[in-house]
Amino acid sequence: MKILKVLMYMSELNVSEIARRIGVNYNTIDKHLKILEDEGILQHKVFGRIHLYRFDEHSSKAKAVQNLIETWEKSDYKMKK
Amino acid sequence: MPQYRSVFKDEAKLDITYVPSRLPHRDSELHLLKEFFSFILQFPAKMAQRVIITGDVGTGKTVLSQRFGADVTRETNKLGVNLRYVHVNCREYRGSLFLILHHVVSVFHPNFPNRGYSAEELLRILLQILDEENAYVILALDEFESLIEREGSEAVYKLTRLQEIRQDKPQRLSLICILRNLKVIDKLDPSTRSSLQSNIINLGKYSKSQLIDILDDRTSLAFKPLTVPRDTVILIAELASSESGNARFGIELLWRAGKYADAENLDAVTPECVRKAVSSIIPIMRKDELASLSFHEKLFLLGIARVFKHSEKACMSLMDAEQAYSIVCEEFNVKPYSHTQLWKYLKTLSVLGILRTEVSAVDSRGRSTLIYLPKISANELEKELNAFLEREES
Repeated sequence: MKILKVLMYMSELNVSEIARRIGVNYNTIDKHLKILEDEGILQHKVFGRIHLYRFDEHSSKAKAVQNLIETWEKSDYKMKK
Repeated sequence: MPQYRSVFKDEAKLDITYVPSRLPHRDSELHLLKEFFSFILQFPAKMAQRVIITGDVGTGKTVLSQRFGADVTRETNKLGVNLRYVHVNCREYRGSLFLILHHVVSVFHPNFPNRGYSAEELLRILLQILDEENAYVILALDEFESLIEREGSEAVYKLTRLQEIRQDKPQRLSLICILRNLKVIDKLDPSTRSSLQSNIINLGKYSKSQLIDILDDRTSLAFKPLTVPRDTVILIAELASSESGNARFGIELLWRAGKYADAENLDAVTPECVRKAVSSIIPIMRKDELASLSFHEKLFLLGIARVFKHSEKACMSLMDAEQAYSIVCEEFNVKPYSHTQLWKYLKTLSVLGILRTEVSAVDSRGRSTLIYLPKISANELEKELNAFLEREES
């Protein structure tokens, strides 16, 4: 969920940066990213050694997850208010 | 509470980053630049172009390139060509090829990491992105000197000969190199130099009348109607002209003078606002220079300062200056000197940079000498001179 939230707001990031932002080591993040990609939620592009991950813009599953996070964050914000 | 009023309509139009839709006196250069890149509208993949824009500070190099960039992007996008114009100031990126290329890549991937690879890899990544997105880039390298100084021939060679290692692939990256002095190119090795020096646009210094046109354009965009008198525009053009025809200096001065008008709650930007503005930019008035003037030189200058203080004019005739000097002499109870002597004083004051003189065009009464007090506030000058003269008298 933390990975998805980070990508929701940053749109696109490389593996090291996602790991740094979440505070989890590279290998763990890499493993989770692959799972999310296999599920058809994320997609990635390779530029040399750089792997950039983002939501799969053609996936309805990805859209549903994005909507869910958005709704969740809004209601969370209202409750805190 | 007094109501805040301003002479400005939209001061952002005087900002250094503003790109006007019209560039006075740069039509032919803009046309030439469009000609150099005309292929991009029909066959963008067939070739890559390299153009050098050169000229002194404030001759419109940056704005010319940016105007072209905006126009060509709009035109190509209408035709369905994915072209991006990317303007980079090399000095802001410390002349580093890596940082410059990272900026270009960031246009396509804003969060692209900035560590862990070389400039050469980044160049390959950029081409990969452009191939994948079927995009083209015109990269404007402003203050190109900075890149040459830091990276030398190697970096420039990589950028210019980039396409040669991509045979049979679309040409993706064109360059506009913007620099002040072409001599910097001599620092490059011959093969790199030859790859650059094919299309050169040299921008000449603006003349005073051209500067007036530029300032008129910006005035109408940035100021409320009738708030900037003609004499103010002429004085600023005069100053910008003496600063090597630097339009940027003139535009900044116009903005600063507007700020002085607002600070003093004036209805208009007077020449005195310009003098205050210019003396705030450069500390022109050196008290020791004033102190070194003779008694009558001070009296002569005091007369001139008083005329400027009470008039809204940018310049005065020598005859007016002589009359003002006579009045001051009467006040100080001394006999005024002759015209010839005053002419010599005028020369001295011009050499010191306190006054500026100009011979007006021939009219029915022949030529006459016009006197400008361009850089010093008349009010401040009068105060300083009065203080000196009082000390000398006592």
